[in-house]
Amino acid sequence: MRIVETRGLTRYYGSRCAVESVDLSVPEGSLFGFLGPNGAGKSTTIRMLLGFLRPTSGIARVFGRDCWRDSRTIKAEIGYMPGDLRLYSWMNGHQALGFVSAARRRDVTKDGQRLAEEFGLDLSVRVRKMSRGMRQKLGLVLALAHRPRLLVLDEPTSGLDPLMQDQLHAHLRQMAATGHTVFFSSHTLSEVEELCDRVGIIREGKLIRDESLESLRRRTGHHVTIGWKKPGSMNDTPPPPCLTLEHRDRDVWRGALSGPVDDLIRWLAAHEVDDLIIARPDLETVFRRYYNEPTETS
Amino acid sequence: MNRGLMFKAAHELLAATLFCGAMLFVMESLLAYVLPLFEDQFSEGFMQIRFLQRFVAAMLGSDVAEGLGPEMFLALPWAHPVILALVWAHAVICCTRIPAGEIDRGTADVLLGLPVGRWEILVSDTAVWLLAAVIVLTMTYLGNLLGASLVDDSTQASTSTTLIVLLNLFAMYLVVGGLSWLVSSLSDRRGRAMTVVFVVLVASFLLNYLAQMWKPADRVSFMSLLAYYRPLIVFRDGSFPTHDLTVLFTAAALLWLAAGLVFARRDIRTT
Repeated sequence: MRIVETRGLTRYYGSRCAVESVDLSVPEGSLFGFLGPNGAGKSTTIRMLLGFLRPTSGIARVFGRDCWRDSRTIKAEIGYMPGDLRLYSWMNGHQALGFVSAARRRDVTKDGQRLAEEFGLDLSVRVRKMSRGMRQKLGLVLALAHRPRLLVLDEPTSGLDPLMQDQLHAHLRQMAATGHTVFFSSHTLSEVEELCDRVGIIREGKLIRDESLESLRRRTGHHVTIGWKKPGSMNDTPPPPCLTLEHRDRDVWRGALSGPVDDLIRWLAAHEVDDLIIARPDLETVFRRYYNEPTETS
Repeated sequence: MNRGLMFKAAHELLAATLFCGAMLFVMESLLAYVLPLFEDQFSEGFMQIRFLQRFVAAMLGSDVAEGLGPEMFLALPWAHPVILALVWAHAVICCTRIPAGEIDRGTADVLLGLPVGRWEILVSDTAVWLLAAVIVLTMTYLGNLLGASLVDDSTQASTSTTLIVLLNLFAMYLVVGGLSWLVSSLSDRRGRAMTVVFVVLVASFLLNYLAQMWKPADRVSFMSLLAYYRPLIVFRDGSFPTHDLTVLFTAAALLWLAAGLVFARRDIRTT
């Protein structure tokens, strides 16, 4: 089942297009990373999914329901943590849990206390006296406490220390393993790479990729480094058609391999190779490649 | 209505309600006690100054040129600018919190991330606001009772007449609240929303004042809020201001409804 689905989702702010024809599809139980730099349209898309903004055109559905019309029903099963999290400064953690329980008409205090313990958060401290990291932890506790079917996190780890980030990642993986869906917006590529199994890349309001991380890497090909046994021996030799060189000197060639690895191995067999590294590119390389491609409009 | 939202609203309105309630209690008791003491001196000076007559007439909602009766000193504590300013300030503080206040301080995302409808938010907050209004106006009434009890019996109004004036003040308070909800629903900045409402209220007061001496202003004085709050007439005639109350309650209901419709349909942007 598709937990999040958008078709032709478009949003204008006056004459400026913030999101244009976004088609997203997030299956149940997945950890979906929504990637893009600041201003690419990530938060606008999330705000439409949560019913904060009405789409200019297109469809946005969560759990098969319309995000604007059925916003209230949908949010009963969503946990949301905004990017720029601001909590009521006069509340302490216990009051915040009490408030959320009463607003949700469901007691989440026990689960909230358990999570706070797990995250090392003192619930008796008032929000106004909390550090940024503590507020972030409280935001996560409030978003997770009711065990939502869909968790929407807008850059959740900014402000968290590395240990807490690891703990959160473990928690999210556990959630996904038990059928919960995580929609995770970030511009920290290593984090998405470590955590997500599916990625959407948004650029200038347009979704340029929505597929599994593995398929994205496969599509991008391999990253190849070749060290030659005799320096300078390959100076006049052209690379095989399957290899696009990005760096070339007397000792080492570096480039991107398109197509099967066999072709390169066969070609290398005729030359004297000292060292060979063939690896899938990391997400950062993939992301940069997509972002450096010219768009139709730019 | 949502218990969580009501708890939050009650907590956020407590300080403003206690402060305004206490101030109104003190000011109202002082005015109700002090003004009748100066009746003779005030009457002599008052008849000489046309400007003052117009100003008081604008406050009380009736021409006072014919003379100053004890009713005027009963009405003045209910229409004194300090009292009106405190009552209006309470309404504006309470009713600009949602959504302008929430968006302004960045908490709208947390609030609207919860499974609560926008109408539900408005209704829950309105319920708490009305309770706060009752507290504030009760404090005003008690202040008046205390002040009046300290002066001699001949200048005291009947309880029923005072309660009618209180009801009229409540109706006017609701209109200010309704207007504040509407302006707040149209705004992302609470400070801006409060300023707009205060400008409208000052303009309303000014129109009522100008109407005393300038015909064109008199023709449009029906647009002034104070045209429907005339405590002097109630104290003088003892009549029930059915028309004024109908206009005020209808305006308050329409403004609140419009605020709800705007809030339910608008985009919430915090970034």
